[in-house]
Amino acid sequence: MIELDRVSRRFADRDALRHLSLTVPAGQMAFVTGHSGAGKSTLLKLLLLLDRPTGGEIRVQGDATHLIKGRAVAPYRRRFGAVFQEHRLLFDRNVHDNVALPLEIAGFSPRDITRRVRAALDKVGLLARERADPASLSGGEQQRVGIARAVVARPEFLVADEPTGNLDPGLSAEIMALFEAFNQVGVTVLVATHDLGLISRFRHRVITLESGHLVEPNTLP
Amino acid sequence: MNRTEPENSNHWGPWSAWRAQHRVAAVTSWQKMVARPGATWLTWIVLAISLALPSAILLTLDNLRETLHGLSGAPQISVLLSLESNLAAADALREDVEAWPEVAIVSVVDRARALAEFIESSGFNSLPASLARNPLPHTLLVTPAEGLGAQAVARLATRLEAEVLVAQVVVDARWLERLEQMLRLGSRWVQGLGGAMILGAILVLANTLRLAVDARREEIQVVRLMGGSDAFARRPFLYTGVWYGAGGGLMATILVWGFGLWLSGPVNALLLLYDRPTQLLWLGPQYPLALILGSACLGWLAAWWVTERFFGH
Ligand SMILES: Nc1ncnc2c1ncn2[C@@H]1O[C@H](COP(=O)(O)OP(=O)(O)O)[C@@H](O)[C@H]1O
Ligand SMILES: [Mg+2]
Repeated sequence: MIELDRVSRRFADRDALRHLSLTVPAGQMAFVTGHSGAGKSTLLKLLLLLDRPTGGEIRVQGDATHLIKGRAVAPYRRRFGAVFQEHRLLFDRNVHDNVALPLEIAGFSPRDITRRVRAALDKVGLLARERADPASLSGGEQQRVGIARAVVARPEFLVADEPTGNLDPGLSAEIMALFEAFNQVGVTVLVATHDLGLISRFRHRVITLESGHLVEPNTLP
Repeated sequence: MNRTEPENSNHWGPWSAWRAQHRVAAVTSWQKMVARPGATWLTWIVLAISLALPSAILLTLDNLRETLHGLSGAPQISVLLSLESNLAAADALREDVEAWPEVAIVSVVDRARALAEFIESSGFNSLPASLARNPLPHTLLVTPAEGLGAQAVARLATRLEAEVLVAQVVVDARWLERLEQMLRLGSRWVQGLGGAMILGAILVLANTLRLAVDARREEIQVVRLMGGSDAFARRPFLYTGVWYGAGGGLMATILVWGFGLWLSGPVNALLLLYDRPTQLLWLGPQYPLALILGSACLGWLAAWWVTERFFGH
């Protein structure tokens, strides 16, 4: 469960988030939407501890994030899988090694790493490209490698920031279907997107932000 | 809820995980280096030169000092007696002088034996025939008491000169003192030069590593984002530093060794001239070990320093 309690993030000249309170129960899939600049990315960054709130409190499974500091940050982040619009693959290694990175960080044995990487690549339909150079893949394939990397260590939470921003509608729907599949096996999924057309094709909770405020009341679907 | 727990498949624990992470970091950073052989060799060579030059000079001084140590600690005084004095008188004087507090040991060199030795070492076998009589006097070799200063040795020489039987006193400590002085000066010089060159080595390493870090900036960010600890993210760079350092140290060893071969001929000849039969001790195993390990440590430190702006606070 993710709880935000009157969370604010103030930058020098503007508030990216203002007194935002909401709860995402464990196992839920929710879209975070709103115009550009509404505060979607800021919200996800606060969750990943890439940024810190200037006010309020965030609790993840009951743990207040402002108490997670220093060496505790890395293990906390391992509870999340993160997907970005610009997928952030490493181009100095092949697809397999990109997906393996979270498992190496978590300290899995080489045998387990191979097994799990292949399982994750199979789920996103890219097992055949295991040895490929990421630069040789299409945009949609690169994004799917990014998703495989995000889920390979079986995190509790999956957060995605505009994961379909660069993709055509058909591919976008495929990507969303993947997120849905991970949600169905129990992962809490939070997807930030401004693509309202895409959201309308799925039946999930929608959290709408506007200038850092919550527009839609905090309701379950 | 499916939390991430590295599962314990056959003896796989935190220790194995840690070792596996080190292995991956060590191997991948090595592979990245050999993938760019030009830059890697260049770094190794520059590093080797910076380390080899002061090491070679230091090694030479070390060896010289060691060889000369026995001598310089106890300058010897040769006391040439008058030609008229006989062996019994020489022996009596030896006993007298040995009782002096400023004297450690006195030995008598019999004039007959001295001539025989001279003939043997010079190879003039026909010499005795051409000499009407032995031109060498009996000689006392006086070793001053340990820790006697240069002035005290000079006073001792004067005291010996005052003895009736003594014709001439030769203190052979002057050149040793000068050599000591030069060795001290040499060490200073090497320390200065060595410090400067090692600083140069660190800067070369740091620059190479800084380029490596800049090229892998994205990797650092991604690793952190995915919950990699700072130690994990930093590890490949530390290994890169160690490989550069160890490679440079190894090449420096080869350079010093070559330099040693080239130098040991003349140096050993020089030592023989000064009647020191000891050969120059060359390159004990401690030198390559110290060079390679020290250089690897330098690489590690340089990598730590360069990554400090990403991982320091
Ligand atoms: N590092 C920053 N410094 C200053 N302003 C920022 C920074 N990051 C975000 N903002 C501002 O905060 C607001 C919310 O940004 P963001 O969360 O990225 O919006 P979204 O992802 O919904 O488009 C924007 O007005 C943006 O300009
Ligand atoms: Mg955004």
